[in-house]
Amino acid sequence: MFSLRSSLSEQSHNAARALFAEIDGARSVVVATADGFELAQAGPGHGDASRLAAMVSSFAALGDAASRESNIGTPRCLVIESTDGRLLVRCMQVRGQSLVVVVLADKKVLLGLVWHQLALAEKLMNAE
Amino acid sequence: MGPLSHLKIVFTGTAGSGKTTAIAALSDTPPVVTDVRNTDASLGKEHTTVGLDFGQVDLGDGQSVRLFGTPGQLRFEFMWRIIATDALGLVILVDNSRPDPLDDLSIYLDAYKDLLPTMSCAIGVGRTLECPQPAVDDFCEMLAARGLVLPVLPVDVRRRDDVLMLVDAVLVQAEMRL
Repeated sequence: MFSLRSSLSEQSHNAARALFAEIDGARSVVVATADGFELAQAGPGHGDASRLAAMVSSFAALGDAASRESNIGTPRCLVIESTDGRLLVRCMQVRGQSLVVVVLADKKVLLGLVWHQLALAEKLMNAE
Repeated sequence: MGPLSHLKIVFTGTAGSGKTTAIAALSDTPPVVTDVRNTDASLGKEHTTVGLDFGQVDLGDGQSVRLFGTPGQLRFEFMWRIIATDALGLVILVDNSRPDPLDDLSIYLDAYKDLLPTMSCAIGVGRTLECPQPAVDDFCEMLAARGLVLPVLPVDVRRRDDVLMLVDAVLVQAEMRL
Protein backbone atom coordinates (compact mmCIF):
# COMPACT_ATOMS: atom_id res chain seq x y z
CA MET A 1 0.00 0.00 0.00
CA PHE A 2 2.82 2.42 0.86
CA SER A 3 4.35 1.86 -2.57
CA LEU A 4 1.30 3.54 -4.09
CA ARG A 5 2.32 6.69 -2.30
CA SER A 6 5.94 6.40 -3.41
CA SER A 7 4.97 5.77 -7.01
CA LEU A 8 2.90 8.95 -7.16
CA SER A 9 5.48 11.12 -5.44
CA GLU A 10 7.12 12.50 -8.57
CA GLN A 11 3.87 13.30 -10.38
CA SER A 12 2.54 14.92 -7.22
CA HIS A 13 5.55 17.17 -6.82
CA ASN A 14 5.43 18.14 -10.49
CA ALA A 15 1.73 18.90 -10.27
CA ALA A 16 2.08 20.95 -7.07
CA ARG A 17 4.90 23.03 -8.55
CA ALA A 18 3.05 23.58 -11.85
CA LEU A 19 -0.19 24.57 -10.13
CA PHE A 20 1.58 26.99 -7.83
CA ALA A 21 3.37 28.57 -10.80
CA GLU A 22 0.28 28.79 -13.04
CA ILE A 23 -2.38 30.01 -10.61
CA ASP A 24 -2.21 33.72 -10.03
CA GLY A 25 -3.06 34.26 -6.36
CA ALA A 26 -2.06 30.80 -5.14
CA ARG A 27 -0.36 30.88 -1.75
CA SER A 28 0.35 27.19 -1.60
CA VAL A 29 -0.64 23.86 -3.12
CA VAL A 30 -0.82 20.52 -1.32
CA VAL A 31 -1.33 17.11 -2.92
CA ALA A 32 -2.54 14.36 -0.57
CA THR A 33 -3.85 10.84 -0.63
CA ALA A 34 -7.57 10.41 0.05
CA ASP A 35 -6.67 9.02 3.48
CA GLY A 36 -4.84 12.17 4.44
CA PHE A 37 -1.14 11.72 3.78
CA GLU A 38 0.74 14.64 2.25
CA LEU A 39 2.43 13.69 -1.03
CA ALA A 40 3.73 17.08 -2.13
CA GLN A 41 3.59 20.75 -1.28
CA ALA A 42 4.55 23.85 -3.25
CA GLY A 43 4.70 27.48 -2.25
CA PRO A 44 5.80 29.11 0.97
CA GLY A 45 3.09 27.30 2.88
CA HIS A 46 0.92 28.57 5.70
CA GLY A 47 0.97 26.24 8.63
CA ASP A 48 1.62 22.53 8.58
CA ALA A 49 1.03 20.96 5.15
CA SER A 50 0.62 17.48 6.67
CA ARG A 51 -2.18 18.75 8.93
CA LEU A 52 -3.84 20.49 6.00
CA ALA A 53 -3.60 17.25 4.01
CA ALA A 54 -5.45 15.34 6.76
CA MET A 55 -8.08 18.07 7.13
CA VAL A 56 -8.74 18.30 3.41
CA SER A 57 -9.10 14.54 3.12
CA SER A 58 -11.78 14.66 5.84
CA PHE A 59 -13.47 17.55 4.07
CA ALA A 60 -13.40 15.71 0.74
CA ALA A 61 -14.78 12.52 2.32
CA LEU A 62 -17.61 14.48 3.95
CA GLY A 63 -18.35 16.09 0.59
CA ASP A 64 -18.47 12.66 -0.98
CA ALA A 65 -20.84 11.36 1.71
CA ALA A 66 -23.11 14.42 1.34
CA SER A 67 -23.14 14.01 -2.46
CA ARG A 68 -24.08 10.34 -2.19
CA GLU A 69 -26.76 11.15 0.37
CA SER A 70 -28.17 13.75 -2.03
CA ASN A 71 -27.93 11.48 -5.07
CA ILE A 72 -25.79 13.90 -7.02
CA GLY A 73 -22.93 11.58 -7.81
CA THR A 74 -19.28 12.04 -7.00
CA PRO A 75 -17.91 15.44 -6.00
CA ARG A 76 -15.21 16.91 -8.17
CA CYS A 77 -14.55 20.23 -6.48
CA LEU A 78 -15.14 21.74 -3.06
CA VAL A 79 -14.66 25.34 -1.94
CA ILE A 80 -14.11 26.94 1.43
CA GLU A 81 -14.75 30.64 0.95
CA SER A 82 -13.30 32.47 3.93
CA THR A 83 -12.91 36.13 4.82
CA ASP A 84 -9.26 36.31 3.80
CA GLY A 85 -8.89 33.63 1.17
CA ARG A 86 -10.12 30.42 -0.36
CA LEU A 87 -9.35 26.75 -0.10
CA LEU A 88 -10.09 25.06 -3.41
CA VAL A 89 -10.15 21.28 -3.38
CA ARG A 90 -10.31 18.86 -6.28
CA CYS A 91 -10.80 15.11 -5.85
CA MET A 92 -8.82 13.19 -8.46
CA GLN A 93 -8.22 9.69 -9.69
CA VAL A 94 -4.61 9.16 -10.68
CA ARG A 95 -3.65 5.69 -11.85
CA GLY A 96 -6.44 4.17 -9.83
CA GLN A 97 -5.48 6.05 -6.68
CA SER A 98 -7.78 8.67 -5.11
CA LEU A 99 -6.02 11.94 -4.43
CA VAL A 100 -7.08 15.33 -3.16
CA VAL A 101 -5.39 18.51 -4.29
CA VAL A 102 -5.91 21.73 -2.37
CA VAL A 103 -5.00 25.21 -3.52
CA LEU A 104 -4.81 27.87 -0.83
CA ALA A 105 -5.47 31.10 -2.68
CA ASP A 106 -6.18 34.81 -2.34
CA LYS A 107 -9.72 36.04 -2.77
CA LYS A 108 -8.78 37.61 -6.12
CA VAL A 109 -8.21 34.19 -7.69
CA LEU A 110 -10.56 33.30 -10.55
CA LEU A 111 -12.37 30.07 -9.74
CA GLY A 112 -12.87 28.98 -13.34
CA LEU A 113 -9.16 29.26 -14.03
CA VAL A 114 -8.29 27.26 -10.93
CA TRP A 115 -10.72 24.47 -11.88
CA HIS A 116 -9.22 24.45 -15.35
CA GLN A 117 -5.68 24.20 -13.98
CA LEU A 118 -6.68 21.42 -11.59
CA ALA A 119 -8.37 19.46 -14.37
CA LEU A 120 -5.25 19.89 -16.48
CA ALA A 121 -3.09 18.70 -13.58
CA GLU A 122 -5.16 15.52 -13.23
CA LYS A 123 -4.79 14.87 -16.94
CA LEU A 124 -1.03 15.38 -16.85
CA MET A 125 -0.56 13.24 -13.76
CA ASN A 126 -2.33 10.38 -15.46
CA ALA A 127 -0.29 10.87 -18.63
CA GLU A 128 3.13 10.94 -16.90
CA MET B 1 -39.58 13.97 25.68
CA GLY B 2 -37.14 14.32 28.53
CA PRO B 3 -33.81 16.09 28.79
CA LEU B 4 -32.02 13.15 27.18
CA SER B 5 -34.37 13.00 24.20
CA HIS B 6 -31.96 13.90 21.38
CA LEU B 7 -28.66 12.47 22.40
CA LYS B 8 -25.29 12.44 20.78
CA ILE B 9 -22.82 9.73 21.63
CA VAL B 10 -19.35 9.61 20.08
CA PHE B 11 -17.41 6.45 19.31
CA THR B 12 -13.67 6.85 19.29
CA GLY B 13 -10.59 4.64 19.49
CA THR B 14 -7.72 3.43 17.35
CA ALA B 15 -8.06 2.68 13.64
CA GLY B 16 -9.42 -0.86 13.35
CA SER B 17 -11.03 -0.88 16.80
CA GLY B 18 -14.48 -1.19 15.22
CA LYS B 19 -16.09 2.25 15.38
CA THR B 20 -17.63 2.05 11.90
CA THR B 21 -18.73 -1.54 12.53
CA ALA B 22 -20.28 -0.68 15.90
CA ILE B 23 -22.31 2.20 14.49
CA ALA B 24 -23.45 0.09 11.54
CA ALA B 25 -24.47 -2.70 13.93
CA LEU B 26 -26.66 -0.43 16.05
CA SER B 27 -27.99 2.16 13.64
CA ASP B 28 -31.62 1.88 12.53
CA THR B 29 -30.76 3.68 9.32
CA PRO B 30 -27.98 2.99 6.83
CA PRO B 31 -24.97 4.74 8.37
CA VAL B 32 -23.17 7.64 6.78
CA VAL B 33 -19.60 6.52 6.22
CA THR B 34 -16.56 8.41 4.97
CA ASP B 35 -14.23 5.50 4.38
CA VAL B 36 -11.53 5.76 1.75
CA ARG B 37 -8.86 3.41 0.51
CA ASN B 38 -6.12 3.04 3.11
CA THR B 39 -2.51 3.66 2.04
CA ASP B 40 -0.95 3.01 5.45
CA ALA B 41 0.45 -0.53 5.39
CA SER B 42 0.77 -0.59 9.20
CA LEU B 43 -3.02 -0.58 9.57
CA GLY B 44 -3.49 -3.80 7.66
CA LYS B 45 -6.91 -3.00 6.29
CA GLU B 46 -8.27 -1.90 2.95
CA HIS B 47 -10.39 1.07 3.96
CA THR B 48 -10.28 3.63 6.74
CA THR B 49 -12.53 6.41 8.04
CA VAL B 50 -11.21 9.92 7.41
CA GLY B 51 -14.26 12.10 8.12
CA LEU B 52 -16.85 10.64 10.43
CA ASP B 53 -19.43 7.90 10.78
CA PHE B 54 -23.03 8.68 11.58
CA GLY B 55 -26.01 6.58 12.53
CA GLN B 56 -29.18 6.83 14.58
CA VAL B 57 -31.00 4.49 16.89
CA ASP B 58 -34.45 4.83 18.39
CA LEU B 59 -34.47 3.58 21.98
CA GLY B 60 -38.24 3.94 22.37
CA ASP B 61 -40.26 6.47 24.39
CA GLY B 62 -39.28 9.13 21.88
CA GLN B 63 -35.64 8.82 22.81
CA SER B 64 -33.33 8.79 19.86
CA VAL B 65 -29.54 8.55 19.98
CA ARG B 66 -27.31 9.97 17.29
CA LEU B 67 -24.13 7.95 16.94
CA PHE B 68 -20.98 9.63 15.67
CA GLY B 69 -17.67 7.91 14.96
CA THR B 70 -14.31 9.62 14.75
CA PRO B 71 -11.40 8.73 12.50
CA GLY B 72 -8.91 6.74 14.58
CA GLN B 73 -5.51 7.93 13.46
CA LEU B 74 -3.70 10.65 15.37
CA ARG B 75 -3.38 12.81 12.25
CA PHE B 76 -7.16 13.26 12.41
CA GLU B 77 -7.07 14.50 16.01
CA PHE B 78 -8.66 17.78 14.90
CA MET B 79 -11.83 15.79 14.07
CA TRP B 80 -11.94 14.19 17.53
CA ARG B 81 -12.79 17.51 19.18
CA ILE B 82 -15.06 18.74 16.41
CA ILE B 83 -17.16 15.59 16.56
CA ALA B 84 -17.30 15.55 20.38
CA THR B 85 -18.77 19.04 20.58
CA ASP B 86 -22.06 18.93 22.53
CA ALA B 87 -21.87 15.16 22.95
CA LEU B 88 -23.55 13.59 25.94
CA GLY B 89 -21.08 10.76 26.11
CA LEU B 90 -18.13 8.97 24.72
CA VAL B 91 -17.46 5.33 23.93
CA ILE B 92 -13.78 4.49 23.64
CA LEU B 93 -13.16 1.25 21.75
CA VAL B 94 -9.94 -0.67 22.36
CA ASP B 95 -8.61 -3.46 20.16
CA ASN B 96 -7.01 -5.99 22.51
CA SER B 97 -5.08 -7.61 19.64
CA ARG B 98 -2.91 -4.51 19.22
CA PRO B 99 0.57 -4.39 20.78
CA ASP B 100 -0.29 -2.09 23.71
CA PRO B 101 -4.04 -1.71 24.31
CA LEU B 102 -3.53 0.15 27.61
CA ASP B 103 -1.38 2.73 25.85
CA ASP B 104 -3.98 2.99 23.08
CA LEU B 105 -6.63 3.80 25.68
CA SER B 106 -4.42 6.42 27.29
CA ILE B 107 -4.16 8.31 23.97
CA TYR B 108 -7.93 8.86 23.92
CA LEU B 109 -8.18 9.54 27.65
CA ASP B 110 -5.57 12.26 27.17
CA ALA B 111 -7.29 13.66 24.11
CA TYR B 112 -10.60 14.02 25.96
CA LYS B 113 -9.06 14.76 29.36
CA ASP B 114 -10.79 18.09 29.87
CA LEU B 115 -14.20 16.72 28.80
CA LEU B 116 -14.21 13.54 30.88
CA PRO B 117 -15.11 15.21 34.21
CA THR B 118 -18.46 16.27 32.71
CA MET B 119 -18.97 13.71 29.94
CA SER B 120 -20.21 10.16 30.42
CA CYS B 121 -17.82 7.54 29.11
CA ALA B 122 -17.66 3.78 28.63
CA ILE B 123 -14.77 1.63 27.45
CA GLY B 124 -15.41 -1.27 25.07
CA VAL B 125 -12.62 -3.82 24.70
CA GLY B 126 -12.72 -5.95 21.56
CA ARG B 127 -11.11 -9.23 20.50
CA THR B 128 -10.81 -10.38 24.13
CA LEU B 129 -11.44 -14.03 23.25
CA GLU B 130 -8.37 -14.22 21.00
CA CYS B 131 -6.37 -11.83 23.18
CA PRO B 132 -7.48 -12.00 26.83
CA GLN B 133 -4.64 -9.79 28.07
CA PRO B 134 -4.77 -7.13 29.30
CA ALA B 135 -7.79 -8.17 31.32
CA VAL B 136 -10.70 -5.93 32.24
CA ASP B 137 -9.16 -5.51 35.71
CA ASP B 138 -5.98 -4.16 34.13
CA PHE B 139 -7.98 -1.50 32.31
CA CYS B 140 -9.84 -0.63 35.53
CA GLU B 141 -6.56 -0.30 37.42
CA MET B 142 -5.15 1.92 34.73
CA LEU B 143 -8.25 4.12 34.89
CA ALA B 144 -8.13 4.22 38.69
CA ALA B 145 -4.52 5.38 38.52
CA ARG B 146 -5.86 8.35 36.56
CA GLY B 147 -8.61 8.95 39.10
CA LEU B 148 -11.29 7.62 36.76
CA VAL B 149 -14.03 5.10 37.47
CA LEU B 150 -15.55 4.06 34.15
CA PRO B 151 -17.33 0.91 32.98
CA VAL B 152 -15.05 -1.41 30.99
CA LEU B 153 -16.93 -3.98 28.93
CA PRO B 154 -15.63 -6.79 26.73
CA VAL B 155 -17.53 -6.46 23.45
CA ASP B 156 -17.92 -7.82 19.97
CA VAL B 157 -18.84 -4.68 18.05
CA ARG B 158 -20.43 -6.75 15.28
CA ARG B 159 -23.16 -7.66 17.76
CA ARG B 160 -25.91 -5.09 18.14
CA ASP B 161 -26.60 -6.06 21.76
CA ASP B 162 -22.98 -5.49 22.73
CA VAL B 163 -22.96 -2.01 21.21
CA LEU B 164 -26.29 -1.26 22.84
CA MET B 165 -24.75 -2.26 26.17
CA LEU B 166 -22.05 0.38 25.69
CA VAL B 167 -24.62 3.03 24.81
CA ASP B 168 -26.65 2.01 27.85
CA ALA B 169 -23.59 2.33 30.08
CA VAL B 170 -23.18 5.92 28.84
CA LEU B 171 -26.87 6.72 29.32
CA VAL B 172 -26.97 5.35 32.86
CA GLN B 173 -24.08 7.62 33.84
CA ALA B 174 -25.75 10.58 32.15
CA GLU B 175 -29.00 10.01 34.02
CA MET B 176 -27.10 9.82 37.30
CA ARG B 177 -25.59 13.23 36.54
CA LEU B 178 -28.98 14.89 36.03
